Amino acid sequence: MNILQVLVPIAYAGIILIATWIVARFISVIIRRLMGRSTQMLGAQIQRLVWVLVWLIGLILAIEELGVNPAILLLMVGLLGVAVIVAIRGPLENFGARYFTFGYIPFKVGDSITVLGHSGKVIEINSISTIILADDHIVSVPNSAFMKETVVNTTHQAWKAISVPIVVNNEIDIPALEGEILRSMNKLRSNFDDRFPPILTLVSRDKQSTRFVLNLMIRNPERRDAIINEVNNRIDDVIDVAKKSQKQKGRQHK
Amino acid sequence: MDGEKFNIKSFGLQSSKYSKEVQGLKILVNTQTPLIWFTHPPKEPKTVVTDLSQLREGEDYNYSTGGVTRMVQPLLKRMLSEGTISEAHWVSLNSAGYNTIKAEGITHHFVSLDKSRMESYGKVKEAMWNAAHGTTKDTTAAQKIFLSDDFPDYAYYNRLTAELINGLDKDIDFDIFYIHDFQQLPIGHMLNTLKPKMYRWHTPFEESTIPEKWKMLMNTYFNAYDLIVVSSGKYLESLKSFGYNGKVKKLYPYVDPEDYTRPNNGEVSTLCDRLGIKDEDDVMLVVARMDPMKGQDRAIDAFAYIAGKYKKLRLVLVGNGSFSSSKQGLGLSKGAVWRSELEEQVNKLGISDRVIFTGHLPQNELDALYERCNFTLLPSIKEGFGLVVVESWLHHKACIVTNRAGIAELITAGKDGLLINPDDMQDIAAKISILLEDRSISRKIGQAGFEVSKLCSISAGLHEETKAIKELVAE
Repeated sequence: MNILQVLVPIAYAGIILIATWIVARFISVIIRRLMGRSTQMLGAQIQRLVWVLVWLIGLILAIEELGVNPAILLLMVGLLGVAVIVAIRGPLENFGARYFTFGYIPFKVGDSITVLGHSGKVIEINSISTIILADDHIVSVPNSAFMKETVVNTTHQAWKAISVPIVVNNEIDIPALEGEILRSMNKLRSNFDDRFPPILTLVSRDKQSTRFVLNLMIRNPERRDAIINEVNNRIDDVIDVAKKSQKQKGRQHK
Repeated sequence: MDGEKFNIKSFGLQSSKYSKEVQGLKILVNTQTPLIWFTHPPKEPKTVVTDLSQLREGEDYNYSTGGVTRMVQPLLKRMLSEGTISEAHWVSLNSAGYNTIKAEGITHHFVSLDKSRMESYGKVKEAMWNAAHGTTKDTTAAQKIFLSDDFPDYAYYNRLTAELINGLDKDIDFDIFYIHDFQQLPIGHMLNTLKPKMYRWHTPFEESTIPEKWKMLMNTYFNAYDLIVVSSGKYLESLKSFGYNGKVKKLYPYVDPEDYTRPNNGEVSTLCDRLGIKDEDDVMLVVARMDPMKGQDRAIDAFAYIAGKYKKLRLVLVGNGSFSSSKQGLGLSKGAVWRSELEEQVNKLGISDRVIFTGHLPQNELDALYERCNFTLLPSIKEGFGLVVVESWLHHKACIVTNRAGIAELITAGKDGLLINPDDMQDIAAKISILLEDRSISRKIGQAGFEVSKLCSISAGLHEETKAIKELVAE
């Protein structure tokens, strides 16, 4: 067997994997730009999904190049996917709804809402359901219900409130980031109710990332969507600058 | 012979009953003002933990004279010695270069704020201070301060502090966080913890003086704390009606009598010679930092009003700027500007030969002045509490006190003090005359004041603070 017959397919497979990496990155950047007008959380989920798809295609092509029949792999992935979807259809629906409602959050933890005949205070919003404390009872409402049912937020001045989730990696200079986000929001100050200045709240932190929520109170409800878009764009810009600055610091440190 | 220490037993100092139940807690204290000011950056790299005993007081560092640090340090020392706490960590602002330093069982961690942010931070802080004291000049600008371009730097400083505390908590796992003073208000909201958070508001708190547009943000910050401590009943009621939903407690500020000495005659004479005070002079003493809020101008006006009648009366003004107006601190020039204005006022009134500005005095010399004076005066326009009144009482000296100080609610007028309206110069002059005309009244008020001072001693404070901490941790 000629050695070239072995090396050439390996080289082609390698080139395909490199190309896959480039395409995955390129598509991620495009999605991030496009989703800049939506919420950060939703954008991250779509980015992850597309990334997985691109890599799956890349891997199949690379395997094919090595002379292995990808049909078996495709079949296995397909069957596994169908099985997973069938098994967790309900939770997936709720999970998806959780992220779609992020695009326009009609309530947040602490708000009083009425949904499906239940009225109470929202005490938790998780990936599957929203927990309401109603008359000393815990009511769990599937997130998908919020896509189908009418939700009434009875919190005082709820129409003014906008909550923007922000997730950053822990290597970013958090105090500087907060300062810059607030400074950036100041440019939009004429849109905010000046009795309620923007406030950044740390929600949770794990080893990799920190989750914040930026709470804003707007003056005009009809400009709500435009303000959400602008705020998200500005936050993305601030985070991009913070990431670049962090990378520069990292290089200087090395 | 050195001056004798005040007799602690006379203050009923004893172990708090609560300290036996709550033992070995790890506490994190946060103030803006550091206990220690460094005069120069460290020679070793910043990461080295230095023991304060390796440095020299006066050369390498000085102690802060502020009321907050003066309360917090003895409290922590006593709690450590009683075993209520096993570890005390103190985070404060200090840009002189040290990161961590150990002093008398307390580990101090410092937040460094660069100059570019210091000015903006200072502006927001000043606006908050003015609001608390009811001295806001530009109310329109004040209303907008939280949406100003200065506010991000104020938030930056507080987040920087909170992140340092969060990091320390990860390593040490504190039992309780005790945040002090108005500058640090957002810290509770910024801490990533469910553990008990206690906050002490040291300045006056009156709902009417806080700009309407600050209420939502301030309430968000206030409500992040499980317990807020204020210095008077009036502030307590005001905080409740402001919108704070948590627990609030009135706790009088306190001093440690051990920090004060009764100087001997030689020490008093030496100081008086240096300041030009003669044996036959009557001395009216005002001890306050150089700040318009302290109302030294009112004391000067009242003095000038009666100076012709009481030819031997001298007015002695002790104090300089605060941490904020120091070069080592925020570098705001408020203290120096106010002193030059007061000196100009004294010159205009033609009483410069009878008014003495001492600047900052070390504690032993301040004690000597308390001993030498006939009585003291606290003419503040607004005063969170007024611990100098307690200092005066410790020396058995009568004190004329502004009715706008938190401590005014402890005073029975005519019995253990005299109350004045700081805006009424004739009222101040009349009260001074009472004490000069009948020395026995002055002595009786001073003696009665000494008894009241026990309410503001470290033993009383330790008992109440330990009780509050115990209740919070035990919940």
